[in-house]
Amino acid sequence: MSTVSETISRGQSARRMRVDGWRWGGRVFLVFMLLYTALPMIWMLLTSIKSGFAAMQFPPQWWPDQPTLDSYQKLLDPQNSVGQDFLRFFWNSLIVSTATTILSVIVAVPAAYAFSRFTFPGRNFLFFAVLLRNMFPAVIFLVPLFILMRAIGLVNTHGSLVLTYLTFGLPLAIWLLKGFYDNIPVQLEQAARIDGATRFQAFMLIVMPLSTPGIIATAIYSFIGAWNEYIYAYTFLSKNEQLTLPVGIQRFFSENTTDFPGLMAASFMMSVPVVVLFLLLQRYFVRALTEGAVKH
Amino acid sequence: MTIVSGKAEARRRLQSARSDVLRKMWEHRADYAYVLPAIAVMLIVIAYPIYYTIELSFFNTPPGLQLRDKIFVGFNNYTAILTSGVFWQVTFNTLIWTVASTFFSFVLGFAAALALHRDFVGRGVLRAILIIPWVISAVAASYIWKWIYHSDFGIIGAILVELGWAERPPNFIDSVSTVLPSLIVVNIWREFPFAMIMMTAGLQTVPEQLLRAAKVDGANAWQRFWHVTFPHLRNVSTVTILLLAVANFNSFIIPWIMTGGGPSNASHIWITHIYELAFGRQRWGVASAYSVLLFIILMTLGYFYVRALSGNERKDGSA
Repeated sequence: MSTVSETISRGQSARRMRVDGWRWGGRVFLVFMLLYTALPMIWMLLTSIKSGFAAMQFPPQWWPDQPTLDSYQKLLDPQNSVGQDFLRFFWNSLIVSTATTILSVIVAVPAAYAFSRFTFPGRNFLFFAVLLRNMFPAVIFLVPLFILMRAIGLVNTHGSLVLTYLTFGLPLAIWLLKGFYDNIPVQLEQAARIDGATRFQAFMLIVMPLSTPGIIATAIYSFIGAWNEYIYAYTFLSKNEQLTLPVGIQRFFSENTTDFPGLMAASFMMSVPVVVLFLLLQRYFVRALTEGAVKH
Repeated sequence: MTIVSGKAEARRRLQSARSDVLRKMWEHRADYAYVLPAIAVMLIVIAYPIYYTIELSFFNTPPGLQLRDKIFVGFNNYTAILTSGVFWQVTFNTLIWTVASTFFSFVLGFAAALALHRDFVGRGVLRAILIIPWVISAVAASYIWKWIYHSDFGIIGAILVELGWAERPPNFIDSVSTVLPSLIVVNIWREFPFAMIMMTAGLQTVPEQLLRAAKVDGANAWQRFWHVTFPHLRNVSTVTILLLAVANFNSFIIPWIMTGGGPSNASHIWITHIYELAFGRQRWGVASAYSVLLFIILMTLGYFYVRALSGNERKDGSA
């Protein structure tokens, strides 16, 4: 086998040389990117299983001498105050993110469908107005929204966060879903309508199932965005028992400035839900981008 | 009511509708119901704040945000910004931050997408690992890198000492000259996967047959990339670069958590500066004026963004 392939490759070596150069370049590049991406995360994990004393050494213990799960136990133990706080923050994040996700889908699906199917005056204007939201940073809206939330009594509630998070998830959600609906042939719905389905039935029974990947992608995007959001949560919430994880962890760190193992363990556990969710559903996300947004 | 499809039909309808838009709007009143929830949320959380920011930028408002006691000051807040030295320093930082982050994120992400385009064993796993930094929270990322850059126990400093390249661990984020590049490295770490995902999606739309035809015609790898792949990706690239530029221009968390803008403003960018002016020093008027300026810059970028997107739309219509 090998001699055959060697003969072939020798015969074509002149032509292959350039191609192989590119391929090797690609491999070297990927190794570099892998190190760049993974080493910080590996160092986070290694630090999180050290004791506080072992972490603060120079030169560092490249591999922990006495690995310990103390930091994780402390964070997950409902008996002590650190664990109580962490679990509460975790729960708060979960509630806020889930509520945001459900509402985003409920609001985005009909809007995207209308932008894709109907022609009503102002359609393009409204569509781009929605997309423009992506352009503006949270900070611009912070002061007036703070005043608004204070006026309607939502400061220090999770409702203020859900309402704000909705808006930054919506533009991309609507954009992605519109691309999906654009690609679903109208004839399918028309056929259903001829068979006696109402417009709503045609939508629920024909369009919704076909756009499931888009909806899943939208949901992941909203969930991750809400889970990781920091500025609004930092500004709108002041009561300790309401904080979400990013703000909670920051507060934890400002009180325990040298507990790096604890901080790394907390960062790790904060990342687990979104990473797992994304890895499980990432093919929908890439597919939604391919079929929805990019395919033109 | 019939289901309307096709751009030609839409154009015809729009033209005939121009004379009596209101009647049309009334006829389509059911359609608006679908977009109403989205528009309502947007109005409350966007239009109202924009109006309010513009108003506040012309007033001096007391630190406690007692709106009844605000005093009209005309353009004073704006002149105060433009004549302050900090403004130019922060603007310069923002420019470097945005351009460097966007450029390297795009190039690295695009290259990674290309390198991962050919199937090989472990491709899926590798791609998944490369995406993780984009998924995890920026707060977590900031703390991870803060620990990596730690001036006494950071791993990079330790490696440099171990290799004999440094006497003692360098101060990455406590020194004026290295802080901004150090933070940009963190930002690229978080942003390049986004470019990779977008370009991966874009690459899948490049027709295989064209590439094969080019190969048969004797085009080498570079020629195939430059003459077939790249032209197909122009729209995706534009959108990706614009989204990256906007996201980077609007960054807050990484500089805020890692340095808080210090040392001596060396890592302050517009957004962190505005935040500090508003919620740190409670100078609401100046902060709002800053926001309005930012708003104008972003509207300009937004114009190109919409043009890039509607370029997609037009192509879609003609295809």
